[in-house]
Amino acid sequence: MAVNPRQATTLQPQTAAPPLAETAGAPIRQSSLWRDAYRRYLRNKGAVASAVVFLIIVLYCLFIPGFWFIPGIWTTLFDIDPNQVNFAEARLPPSFEHPFGTDQFGRDLFTRVAKGGQVSIGIGFAATIAILLIGVTYGSISGFVGGTLDNAMMRFLDALYGLPYLPFAILALAIIGTVNFWTMVLALTIASWFTAARIVRGQVISLKENDYVRAAHAVGARWHRVLTRHLLPNTLGVLIIATFLELPAVVLGEAFLSFIGLGINPPDPSWGSLASEARQGYRTHPLDLWIPCLFIAALVLCANFIADGLRDALDPRTRET
Amino acid sequence: MAAFIIRRIFWTIPVILLVIFMIFMMMRQIEGNPFRRTERAVPPQVQANLERKFNLDKPVYMQYLLYVKGVFTLDLGPSLILRDRTVTDIVKEHFPRSLKLGLLAFIWAVLFGIPAGVIAALRPNSIYDYMLMFFSSIGFALPSFFIATLFIYYFALKVNAFPTNGWPLGFWDVDSRVVLPSLALGLFPMAYFARLVRGTMLETMQQDYVRTARAKGLRWRSIVTRHVFRNSLIPVVTATAPLFGLIITGTFVIEVIFSIPGIGRYFVSSVSNRDYSVVMGITVLTSLIVIILNLFVDIAYGFLDPRTRTSRT
Amino acid sequence: MQRNRWLLLVMALVAVLSLAAVGCGGDDDDDDAAADETGATDTSAQEPAAEQTLRIAWGAEPPSLDPGKATDTTSANVISALMDPLVKLNPDTLEPEPSLAESWTEEGPIVTFKLREDATWTNGDPVTAQDFVYSWKRTLSPELAADYAYQLYGVKGAAEYNGCEADCDALADEVGVTAVDDYTLQVELTSEQPWFLGQVSHHSFLPVHQATVEQFGDNWTDPENIVTNGAFMLESWDHEASINMVKNPDWRDADSVSLERIDGSIIVDGITRVQAFEAGEVDALDGAGLPPEEIERLKSEPYYEQYPALGTYYYGFNTANIGEEQRKAMSLAINRKIITDEIDRTGRSQATGMTPEGVKGFEVINPNSPWLPAEGDMTQAQELMSQAADAKTNINLFHNDSPGHKEIAVAVQSMWSELGIETTIKAQEWAQYLEFLGPPPNKAVDVYRLGWIYDFPDAINGLELFTCDSGNNNTNWCNEEYDALVEEARATVEDEARYEIYRQLEGIMFDEAGEVPFSPIMWYTYPNLEQDSIRDTFFINPLDQIDFTKVVVQGG
Repeated sequence: MAVNPRQATTLQPQTAAPPLAETAGAPIRQSSLWRDAYRRYLRNKGAVASAVVFLIIVLYCLFIPGFWFIPGIWTTLFDIDPNQVNFAEARLPPSFEHPFGTDQFGRDLFTRVAKGGQVSIGIGFAATIAILLIGVTYGSISGFVGGTLDNAMMRFLDALYGLPYLPFAILALAIIGTVNFWTMVLALTIASWFTAARIVRGQVISLKENDYVRAAHAVGARWHRVLTRHLLPNTLGVLIIATFLELPAVVLGEAFLSFIGLGINPPDPSWGSLASEARQGYRTHPLDLWIPCLFIAALVLCANFIADGLRDALDPRTRET
Repeated sequence: MAAFIIRRIFWTIPVILLVIFMIFMMMRQIEGNPFRRTERAVPPQVQANLERKFNLDKPVYMQYLLYVKGVFTLDLGPSLILRDRTVTDIVKEHFPRSLKLGLLAFIWAVLFGIPAGVIAALRPNSIYDYMLMFFSSIGFALPSFFIATLFIYYFALKVNAFPTNGWPLGFWDVDSRVVLPSLALGLFPMAYFARLVRGTMLETMQQDYVRTARAKGLRWRSIVTRHVFRNSLIPVVTATAPLFGLIITGTFVIEVIFSIPGIGRYFVSSVSNRDYSVVMGITVLTSLIVIILNLFVDIAYGFLDPRTRTSRT
Repeated sequence: MQRNRWLLLVMALVAVLSLAAVGCGGDDDDDDAAADETGATDTSAQEPAAEQTLRIAWGAEPPSLDPGKATDTTSANVISALMDPLVKLNPDTLEPEPSLAESWTEEGPIVTFKLREDATWTNGDPVTAQDFVYSWKRTLSPELAADYAYQLYGVKGAAEYNGCEADCDALADEVGVTAVDDYTLQVELTSEQPWFLGQVSHHSFLPVHQATVEQFGDNWTDPENIVTNGAFMLESWDHEASINMVKNPDWRDADSVSLERIDGSIIVDGITRVQAFEAGEVDALDGAGLPPEEIERLKSEPYYEQYPALGTYYYGFNTANIGEEQRKAMSLAINRKIITDEIDRTGRSQATGMTPEGVKGFEVINPNSPWLPAEGDMTQAQELMSQAADAKTNINLFHNDSPGHKEIAVAVQSMWSELGIETTIKAQEWAQYLEFLGPPPNKAVDVYRLGWIYDFPDAINGLELFTCDSGNNNTNWCNEEYDALVEEARATVEDEARYEIYRQLEGIMFDEAGEVPFSPIMWYTYPNLEQDSIRDTFFINPLDQIDFTKVVVQGG
């Protein structure tokens, strides 16, 4: 295995216990890029806090209303259906059973926001992963093949960099006709992949030029070995960071589309549709508007801080203060 | 240098054609009859007449070529729905308003975002830094319709400091109605610029050559202005094009909330109305703007960063 | 660096949460604050203000100011301010009153109008009967493809001319409208139609200035070109932004008109409209609709007004997809009282038939349908549902995306879920929506939402929508007996007898043995906001028309 320059500059942690007879001759516990990054990440309190908050939000969204075959905590505890209309319970103030109160149809907001989070975050992740997959494929082909094909593909992307995604997303949705979870993912992916692909392609290119790759070639490694053993693991870091950077954009994009009216069909909630509906009554019920928006903001902020933290953790050079 | 510029311009043309083609094909896929306005069905020969009038009866590639020709002669065809007005008229009338909104938002972003970022970078971990990062986080993370609603509520209703809606129509007219919308739209790019500038400046300040300059004894101020700031501008300039594209399309939400008669609002209703011409016209227009901005950015890059001039083919 | 980032995050969350608390605390003050914020108008002074300017907020951009082409209420209201109709409807009785026509006579199917001789166009030309002949034929012409041409089908030869495919000029001459002399207009109807005089107040019957239209073509409605004959003139029209009108000093009754200016801002978003009003920037809204969530709060404000309307809000069935038993069950399952009282909350009444209250002869016509109980009847509904053969349990409910419809759809969705029906709600923008509805409706449509605002106060206007050939019958329901009865009604001149026929028509649809092709939900009202300064004189009639000549701005 070729020497990874990053490994060369990091410290090797020592195992505390003295080597016992049985373990004499056992290899010293090696540090890897990931372990180091993990450790470095943990030292960044802000990033850790963000990760914790992010995790809490995700857990809240998953387990309060339940998903797939897993029943929700709140829904089973109080026998609540987030889509059930019940006018007798409309507009209740926050209580133990309804921490966020109920909306004008008598539906519990606590579970609805959680369910909405499933949709919004779900769309966010799905679209982000799709975008990155396309980007990786594009970048790998382009970067690896090089030459005129790379040139043409690069020109194409360069020029399309920053094309406004909203019109394309709207057009895509209009073409598809219906609006549901997967069509939103598709539309947002179609609209945003140029920008992401360009970034990923840039990464692949720069990694390709790296010395260790040349060394691997020189040693005689075949291209697929180089790809899987060297390029992709290193790109992985960048990809993870890109995920957390792209996620907020997609979540905000979904909120925008819902505001325009191209959101998920009722009664299924998403943060964007909850916020845009709540705006109609914000003069008398501001809480209904604040809550989904704050959740969106929290998600965006956490994702950004996590990305910053990851970037710092994975690339030690920028950390030297 | 001239060769570089010419080459870049040359490459832009096929891209423009390709973008128009993509949009054209996308538009064709949308179902629905654009000539249907009320409950009554359109009589078949009226339908045929209208289709003939708008070239919809010709084969697809012909329509595409006619359209491309139209784009370059600034004739974007007639609106299919508002039969009294052409797309060019609509765009000429409404686009400048969105453009003004976008430009004002951009000016806010540049005027406040960049200096804020610079100050934060020069005084890291100080109270300025915290405040800045805090406010920029808000502007960055909250959806713009939320910010806009809050602005109206606090600054126009509770405190009658600004009007709740409306927009001065002449391009150079400015009155109190422009403040809240442009600020609401500009908050996101402002935050984005602030964070970007702060980040790149901090990164630049850690570079070896800055250390060398300090070691050499140069004054900190001149180091900042001549080296740090200038080099930090590069990512900022790169971000300008997509950011501006984002602003222009983000005007939609602001236009609805503040009742601004711009092109964004028109765009979405045109999609639903199947007004092919208007939708294509607007999408092509915004795409062209971004592409041309990219071109300028690339050329500006050539001036700012000498390395790019020679390495690019 | 780490500690600072963490502090930063905490600070951010804390500050944002405290802002939220401030935001929440704010709404208690709302009622007081709102009252304080309603501009500088006071109730005390009852004399007209020095400056007679009405600032109104229109809910949409009028697609056209051409009486021949306009179909929506915003266009209609602006056009009606700019033009002079032959007759106007009395705001209380809805009876026709002289306007441009001084008097008229009816002899069987022939109606003769005597026009005033002092009416002029804004360019000085006198308004003559020939103007009307030209305008009506123009509206009927196949080239114009006017959507509301069918309004004039009561005139002899109109339908033929409008549907003509070749040699149309000959047919144009056959249309039964002629100018006997400059000020006498004779109209020959297909049969005697007692409602015709009321119908003539509709904007489709307004005249246009021939020379202007011929000179400028499609641009004749531009402010620089337009020639009108009404109480107000078009001063400026900035698309999507504003429409401003000024008083026409040469109008035949200019002395009786108080307003000098009407400044209309076009504000599409409902919340923005309400905000503009409460900040004192506009004096009145146009009755286009208030956000349902705001109504609860607004109803207790002094500036809230509610007008009865002649209109029916209904859910139509695609009878090709849903059988009669199921339709009855679904209709029974809807609790209309909840919809009107909990969701809509603008004082609308639950519908018990198609024809709304306020239409002449309502007491006779209304069937008080057993299939439209005010609070629904879930037990019977479930029973019927279980008996229904080929029940469709997965249905699509379509509605257009104006405010209010989604909430009602959501409520109905949950009501139908108790019948074991799973409803998918689909919202569409108006033009696409109409396309989908056909007729015949797209196969995917099972239930659709529509409303019908009456063009004139006679029940035929609503009942004739559901004949087999009607372009507004999206239900796939066709009943020959019904069609025959409609024809008979059209031929029946005597009111009482005609009302009996209307009752039978309603019966075919909504009696015990009725077929229930659609389910009326409620009868419309127009909720509006009006400042004190104009509240006494600003009025929206049940046909959604505003008479600006009567508005007076009060206050010193």
